[in-house]
Amino acid sequence: MKINKFIVGLGLSVALVFPACNDVLEVEPEFQRGGNFSSLDDYQLSLTGTYARFRQTAYFGSGSQTTGTWSILPDLMGEDLVQTEEDLANWQNQINLEYTTDDPDVASGWLAAYSVITQANITLRGIDQFAAANQERVNEIKGQALAIRAMVHFDLLRYWGESYDRNATGLGVPYVTEVDIETMPARLTVKETYDNIFRDMEEAENLLEGVELDNDARAYIDQLAVQALLARMHLYAKEYPAAESYASLVIDQVPLADQDEFAEIWTDASRAEVIWAVSYNAGEGSPSSGIYNGPGNRNRARPSEDLVATYNQANDIRFDTYFDFRALGEDTRRILRKFLGRGATEDNVVDWKVIRVAELYLIRAEARAMQPGKQLLALADLNTLRRARINNYVDVVLAGQPLLDAIALERRKELIGEGHRFFDLKRTTRTLVRTDVDLPSTNVEVLPNAREWVWPVPQGEIDANPNIRGQQSPGY
Amino acid sequence: MKKLLLVFIVLLQVLHLSALAQNRTISGRVTSAADGVSLPGVSVVVKGTTVGASTDVDGRYQISVTGNPTLVFTFIGFTSREVQVGASNTLDVRLSEDAEALEEVVVTGYTTQNRREVTGSVATVKAEEVALVPLASFDQALQGKSPGILVQANSGQPGAAANVLIRGRGSILGSNDPLFILDGVEISSSDFATLNPADFESFNILKDASATSIYGSRGANGVIVITSKRGAAGKTRFEYNVQYGFSTAPESGLELMNSNQKLDYELYRGNPYDWTDEDLARLRQINTDWGDVFFQTGKTANHTLSASGGSEKTTYYISGSIFDQTGIVRNTGLKRYTGRINVENISGPLTFGLNTTFGYSELMNTEESDTGIGQPLNAINWTNPYETPYDENGEYTVITSGQPNALQELLENSNLRQQLKGVGTVYLSYAVPFVKGLTLSTRWGGDFRSDESTVYTDPTTYNGSFATGGSGSLTRGYARNFRYTGTTSATYATQFGTDHTLTVGLYNEIVDNLGRSFEFTGYGLGGPFENEAGITPGNATNGFIPAVFGTGSENALLSYFTTINYGFKDRYFLNVGLRRDGSSRFGANRKYANFGSVGLSWIVSDEPFMQGLTGIFNDLKFKISYGTAGNQAGISDFQSRELYGRSIYAGVFGLNQQQIANPELQWERKTTFNTGIEMSTLGGRLRSTVEYYNSITSELFLNRQLSRTTGYPSITSNIGELQNRGVELSVEGDVVSSVNFNWSVNVSLTYNNNKILKLVEKEGENDIVSGIIINREGESMNSLFLVPFVGVNPENGNAQYRTLEGEITEVYSAADRVIVGSAEVPFFGGFGSSLNFKGLELSAFFSFQRGNEVYNNDLTNVTNPAYLADNLSVELTREWKKPGDITDVPRAGNRFQSGTTRFVEDGNFLRLRNVNLSYTLPKTLTSALRLNTVRAFVQGQNLVTWTDFRGWDPEITGASLVGAQYPALRTVTFGLNIGL
Repeated sequence: MKINKFIVGLGLSVALVFPACNDVLEVEPEFQRGGNFSSLDDYQLSLTGTYARFRQTAYFGSGSQTTGTWSILPDLMGEDLVQTEEDLANWQNQINLEYTTDDPDVASGWLAAYSVITQANITLRGIDQFAAANQERVNEIKGQALAIRAMVHFDLLRYWGESYDRNATGLGVPYVTEVDIETMPARLTVKETYDNIFRDMEEAENLLEGVELDNDARAYIDQLAVQALLARMHLYAKEYPAAESYASLVIDQVPLADQDEFAEIWTDASRAEVIWAVSYNAGEGSPSSGIYNGPGNRNRARPSEDLVATYNQANDIRFDTYFDFRALGEDTRRILRKFLGRGATEDNVVDWKVIRVAELYLIRAEARAMQPGKQLLALADLNTLRRARINNYVDVVLAGQPLLDAIALERRKELIGEGHRFFDLKRTTRTLVRTDVDLPSTNVEVLPNAREWVWPVPQGEIDANPNIRGQQSPGY
Repeated sequence: MKKLLLVFIVLLQVLHLSALAQNRTISGRVTSAADGVSLPGVSVVVKGTTVGASTDVDGRYQISVTGNPTLVFTFIGFTSREVQVGASNTLDVRLSEDAEALEEVVVTGYTTQNRREVTGSVATVKAEEVALVPLASFDQALQGKSPGILVQANSGQPGAAANVLIRGRGSILGSNDPLFILDGVEISSSDFATLNPADFESFNILKDASATSIYGSRGANGVIVITSKRGAAGKTRFEYNVQYGFSTAPESGLELMNSNQKLDYELYRGNPYDWTDEDLARLRQINTDWGDVFFQTGKTANHTLSASGGSEKTTYYISGSIFDQTGIVRNTGLKRYTGRINVENISGPLTFGLNTTFGYSELMNTEESDTGIGQPLNAINWTNPYETPYDENGEYTVITSGQPNALQELLENSNLRQQLKGVGTVYLSYAVPFVKGLTLSTRWGGDFRSDESTVYTDPTTYNGSFATGGSGSLTRGYARNFRYTGTTSATYATQFGTDHTLTVGLYNEIVDNLGRSFEFTGYGLGGPFENEAGITPGNATNGFIPAVFGTGSENALLSYFTTINYGFKDRYFLNVGLRRDGSSRFGANRKYANFGSVGLSWIVSDEPFMQGLTGIFNDLKFKISYGTAGNQAGISDFQSRELYGRSIYAGVFGLNQQQIANPELQWERKTTFNTGIEMSTLGGRLRSTVEYYNSITSELFLNRQLSRTTGYPSITSNIGELQNRGVELSVEGDVVSSVNFNWSVNVSLTYNNNKILKLVEKEGENDIVSGIIINREGESMNSLFLVPFVGVNPENGNAQYRTLEGEITEVYSAADRVIVGSAEVPFFGGFGSSLNFKGLELSAFFSFQRGNEVYNNDLTNVTNPAYLADNLSVELTREWKKPGDITDVPRAGNRFQSGTTRFVEDGNFLRLRNVNLSYTLPKTLTSALRLNTVRAFVQGQNLVTWTDFRGWDPEITGASLVGAQYPALRTVTFGLNIGL
């Protein structure tokens, strides 16, 4: 009996005293970690994470309810892709350019872009402490992070900028360079936004000089990609000589694809022409499931017959590469098959080609056509591109507005679905006219004075940020 | 080192002093005062301790005591008695049948109190009301049974857990789930389906700060304390319960087009499928009721066998059960097997016990609450009536609209969850012999769950074509969760003077929850196998690269608390609770917080001045309490920290920031005032309770809005205040009470007013809008925020809306949104009646809710004219077609706006929750059969629902009926209870 009491007494006493340890609450996460970056390896991990953020739904990724804001949406918002009944009435507001300040997709795009910027800024925060130890590696990481930061701000400017002119005083976007959750930035002017973009891009160009990345898949931004993006940015800013010279830097290094390679670009079998592509693999979403949805056999947006009619169907290799037919029951529908997948499985999983050298030809042609005395050079660029695409092509001779129109049409034919049309309309004519439509609800005309050419600052941002409250885009 | 020393000292004392203890054994017999029959199974407890025994089959007991303590004799249906032990070692006691509700025993957790001592708000639901209900998850059966507790089933899917709210929603972002305690151990509300409610003895629902004070760190949303059955000394008793039954689907309040209506509508809208006259003639002949295609008659079988008994020293309860229910949707159902062993041993001052249950369940389910086109429960509404599930060759039809054939999705794919669950508690208590009234006890228990899930998608299905590689998939996952709760206490109970009683308890409690899960998904399911053998190993060419995933998390709570119960003249009682709680979830300097409560109760009917009124008031008790409790549930385990997680790009490992730090994040604090009267009159035949409460949650978990340029929309912070005020009423009456005929009625009513007192500190930012929901100061939380729809312009068929200025407009603007009611239910309750004639008993129970609004998103999906491809609501047949048409449905080309009051519906309903007709064989007959009891019954569950709601079921948690609703089952079962 005494032994029993001994045991009980011991047990109870230990039980009473032993749990009284505060380390019960010392619980640590095992599947996530804290934010103390102690080496350049940590910064490298953060840079990789920054690239991964491009894949998110509402940036290049396409969800079931939210489009890829900078992948396929700009084309859905143009006239070359036609929304069909099979889309089940998704994304109506953007496709019809009928958004209001509380549009959830507009808010998603804004947030997605700034979340990439935040991760880029985290990658830049404090990295200079390692400059003395390993200058080369710092340059490599910093150059990429700066280029990403600038490029994303430029993408924001494409939707939210009141103008694309280099020195415009209209509303641009907030330019964020610090990691601070209490920040309440105001919108800069377009000019100020560009000042920041070009500062970062030019620094990135310098830092990435001579840096060799492991870039066979063109998944990372190297100096060449920075220069290509700079050409695009200068074209938007109507700085034609700069656009021309940056385009030339790229064109001189990267040839146009030959005919065999051209088809393989779209299945990622060839990296010909690709300057930078955001990598997508199985399980990481898709940039293009909102056009022709392969697994569901849903032709959510079909190519417009108006555009299809402009191809030289017999000789233009783009025609068979870009378009095809798919059956549904007894119906046969024409589809855009640029982004169907890598292999036989039409799963919409392909890398998102952010910029190809073909665009650089079109940039240079336009930049040259807009400069006095360079019409012939512009024409040569147009003919070069067409010659690569069209069998038995005979060079044309064009000048003035017909030349500009031909370049604009060539952009549509070459870049359909690649995320340009809305911006090109906004950049140039600012009138959207849809003649080939399927749905009664489709908005068939958007005039240049429509407020929708400039996206509204999302209501959530207006509510949270007093410094931006007085800066809503005009008309909202 | 100090701790070791302390252990040593305590140990020495135990050894040294134990020799001084004076133990003796008291024995006696307990009989009924009315007829002198011996009472087996009466609980005998040394007051203020957990030392106890129970009477054997002859009503005899034996208990070891120290000194001259008071023994408490309690038995269900009888008035408890407290008798002081005298010099004699024999003590016979007579118990009289219970007429006074206040003598009921209330289990509030670590302690058992007499109802008169309870200063807080505690409601009791008898287990037999729940045990027989043919539902796998017992929480659903609590609906309407007690005031203050709102139970919403949400789903009729077998095994689905209900949503339980006690006294309104007290947190916006945090958890509102009450704490469920089974035999002292926290259990997860998500997997009640693997527990057998027939093993439960009682449910005590603790509602205010005084009652929940011992659960402070987890008790802010109320506590439901479940006690499992124990054995009673005496002959072994066997009990066998069996029931069989069937379930059918209710009628939907949503009327859809038939084939003729839909085809006519398509023709009117321009014949999008280019039907020829020949097609039309054929299709008009088809009229598929898609409900019939997906629904079946569900079957329920339920068996429980239990044995209980024991000696004076050791008692046990053992049970086993099988529950098998198929749902009304094909390919859904739950099979459950459970076992339980409860053992308690009392040897002298030492009580040792083990309560343990294990269960295994297999759940076949289908997705609910989403708007996916592959969901069978959406397909019921969406698939055109002129389609058939199978074509003329017996193959699954390819649906013209391009929607998947949902029957194929349902039958060819499967979703199975196999759950293994164990809940166990081991407890040990020691009545220190040399300090009278001091009891040391410790209780350690665990709630373990493991889920193995198997999701098979067939390559031929729509879902299968979305799998990586486009050829089906098999996902096998394993998740386990283990939570242990350890409570160690020292309590001291004493009496001084003649009028004073005092009990003081010191407690320490640790709770730790650890979860882990992993899963893999393999692809390329082309072969004959629907398991791992069917997976095609991936390579670079075929694309069938499997996906693997795993995660885990942990959190811990540490609490120290004390309870002080003081009684004066056995009619004034004071309960005080003080505690300090720590949670691992908060920032380094915010982990700990202090909470406390104080409560008073006064047995007015025992006052001398009431003596003349004893004929009127058998019992009259007044109580009042005030206190605080903390909440830390509902936020993530590491919510206060900056976190980085895995982020892969181009096959290379990376990290990205997934959460920003808020080191100031701290406890949500709920302060509750409660007062009430408990009364029993007419010789105990009318019993009623009225309570008023006012609780305010401060330091609310809320998402403070950030500039989105930070990359985050918000950060979880403590802002704002929320109030729930209400009145609760419960009345039970025996209208007729005689030897052969009894008629009783019961009613429970609750009115709760929810109001946001304060949201954001900053001026001009007092609203938090999230979709159709607004949280605004001065309004109920989860208010619907929509543009008023005011009909259709007869001239042009456009929808008309009301602006904030009260003008009619055809332009929809989000700026015109107004609050149109709240999703929070203000008024709810239940009422029932039972008639008993000799052995025949008929009872019926109704529950209702009133005053909440529901946004019917499911309705928008069949009302949007853009969804012409699929079937639509019959209301579109009265769409505006030409100038002059007076209708409430706008023209097809008018821009469809879903964010309007057009889709708001009242959530009111009244439901005949349960009807039960039973017959108990007379004693004479059962004795002849050598049985104790035989009872046969037939019962109906959810037989009738009165509602105007346009859907399957208005019993919805939250503001919106999203879609894919699994309707509540209408179930009829037949059963038999046999005791021997």
